[in-house]
Amino acid sequence: MTSRERVLAAIRHEQPDRVPVDLGATPSSGISAIAYNNLVNHLGLKNTPTLIYDVVQQLAQPHCNVLDRFGVDVLDIGRTFNSQPTDWKPISMANGSEAFYPKWFSPVVQPDGSFLTYDNDGKRVLSKMPVGATFFDQTYFPYVDGYPDSYEGLDVEMGRIMWARDVHSPWDHAGDDDFWQKLRENTLELRRSTDKALLVVCGCNLFEWGTFLRRMDNFLMDLLCDQYNVEKLLDQLMIRHLATLEKVCNAVGDIVDIIRFGDDLGMTSGPFMDEETYKSLFKPRHKILCDYVKEHSNMHTFIHSCGSISLLIPHLIEAGIEIFNPVQTNSLNMEPAFLKNEFGDSCTFWGGGVETVGTLNNGTPQQVKDQVAERLEIMSKGGGFVFNTVHNILPDVPPQNIIAMFDAVKAFNDR
Amino acid sequence: MEELFSKLADCIEFGKIDEVSPYPPNFKGQTGADEITAQVLAKGASAQDVLNNALIPGMEKVGVKFREGTIFVPQVLMSAKAMKTAMVHLKPLLKQGNVKQKGTFVIGTVEGDLHDIGKNLVAMMVEGNGYEVIDMGTDVSVDAFVQQIEKTPDCVVGLSALLTTTMVNMEKIVKNVKEKFPHQKVCIGGAPVNNEFCDKIGADNYSADPQGVVDFLNTLAS
Repeated sequence: MTSRERVLAAIRHEQPDRVPVDLGATPSSGISAIAYNNLVNHLGLKNTPTLIYDVVQQLAQPHCNVLDRFGVDVLDIGRTFNSQPTDWKPISMANGSEAFYPKWFSPVVQPDGSFLTYDNDGKRVLSKMPVGATFFDQTYFPYVDGYPDSYEGLDVEMGRIMWARDVHSPWDHAGDDDFWQKLRENTLELRRSTDKALLVVCGCNLFEWGTFLRRMDNFLMDLLCDQYNVEKLLDQLMIRHLATLEKVCNAVGDIVDIIRFGDDLGMTSGPFMDEETYKSLFKPRHKILCDYVKEHSNMHTFIHSCGSISLLIPHLIEAGIEIFNPVQTNSLNMEPAFLKNEFGDSCTFWGGGVETVGTLNNGTPQQVKDQVAERLEIMSKGGGFVFNTVHNILPDVPPQNIIAMFDAVKAFNDR
Repeated sequence: MEELFSKLADCIEFGKIDEVSPYPPNFKGQTGADEITAQVLAKGASAQDVLNNALIPGMEKVGVKFREGTIFVPQVLMSAKAMKTAMVHLKPLLKQGNVKQKGTFVIGTVEGDLHDIGKNLVAMMVEGNGYEVIDMGTDVSVDAFVQQIEKTPDCVVGLSALLTTTMVNMEKIVKNVKEKFPHQKVCIGGAPVNNEFCDKIGADNYSADPQGVVDFLNTLAS
């Protein structure tokens, strides 16, 4: 099987020749730049500059030598942008090691060593990376004091949110005149040059955009006491998401294998909301997004949602979601065997292959191998599983453990 | 009076802020925490009575239901808002000093970490259970915690972190606090934290949910 056939077989719930593997095809299945630097240094790889393609989360775009070293089966089409050395500029990271930012990203260092990003006028602070932190957090919430009377300014305000403003490729080029044509050309070229599966990240977040605009606490209360305004906002978001989906489907819907949506619906102790709230406000809209993709492309639907979401998984499946990530197995009712038994026939789990909190960062290489082997045994039966960690590999993960993790996958596949 | 206390406890438990508040739908048109608190105080109830007979019992039920997974964060936030509305009436009386709060709780998200949803939930729940809460905010340094402990030496300290990369700062804070104030109680919480980590860094308690913090504080206060 080629890598692409392997991934597609897993999604179709056919037993692939080996368990497919992801590293870095999405901004929630990747690796932090600091951990990546440690990894390539440990492997002794040369000419693999650390490109921080997701500046908000400080994630590295893994070099093809690293992907090949670990047998990765899937690529993000965003990596076809910013492909020239001149698209990047050198920086020094929190641990003193070197990396590169896209040339458009210029956070301002503060006297205390923290970094801030500003609006175009240089006055409004939009996000902050405190000293000791390894990614940026949003500090500007445009509708924190209430919903606007009109949504004429929504695009401008969405453009001030760090997740949109400092977005990873290919979307950092979305304003270019020839973007959609370029996206198609690049993706066609990538399809010709690789046998790996291809993935496009296209957020279409609904709940999360509410929290970005209103701030988490306000939006959570709005779900109960101001559903009129919540629905008005969601309708505005849907207009924009469907317009984007139309363009994505037209440009790459016949080339790309998977489209990745995002909407964090859970915390470790349970979903953010009860089933009824999800069913009334979000499920119908998730269904519209999934239906559109199915009617207008060949792409499989993937959602990233952190946390304990087992209560909502049946509804997301009914809405049309086929693939779940990051499979946060350390959360309530998210144990691997439970998920596989309960939902394994109806969806694909993309992640959950090893705990990033506990085992991968603090365990020994042998403990990592043991957990990976155990998870693979449970999750890979009959397909429906793509190996990845629970969310991104964070800076505190030693390279020996990353290597042990992929060695364990290889050993399982070679049995 | 008992009936009003019971109604007020229900307003806290179910998140009924005031008469115009549309939530919860089955309380529509009824008075809420705002009006009932004013009413019981006008009828001569003491702030202590309001705390003990309405706010604390109401908030306790919220904590237990959240722990059991029968309600979710939005409902807890609505209850906290109802509780805060009641506290607006009580705060001037609390300042007069004739109310005995159960203790002082100093809480903050550790340095390097700007996440505060979990920390805020704990702060609200602890306040609603009869404690004075000093919320230090996010990205709080060791020095800031130490200075606050010097001002409120009888306090219990609560540390929150969301990230594996900032939970190491908990260790630093606990170490510094315990060196300077060996008997100071420190509790920790947050997504990446667990009992094992709590033991490793020498903190006194880990709670997976806000009610666990309340239980820990109640044990110390009793």
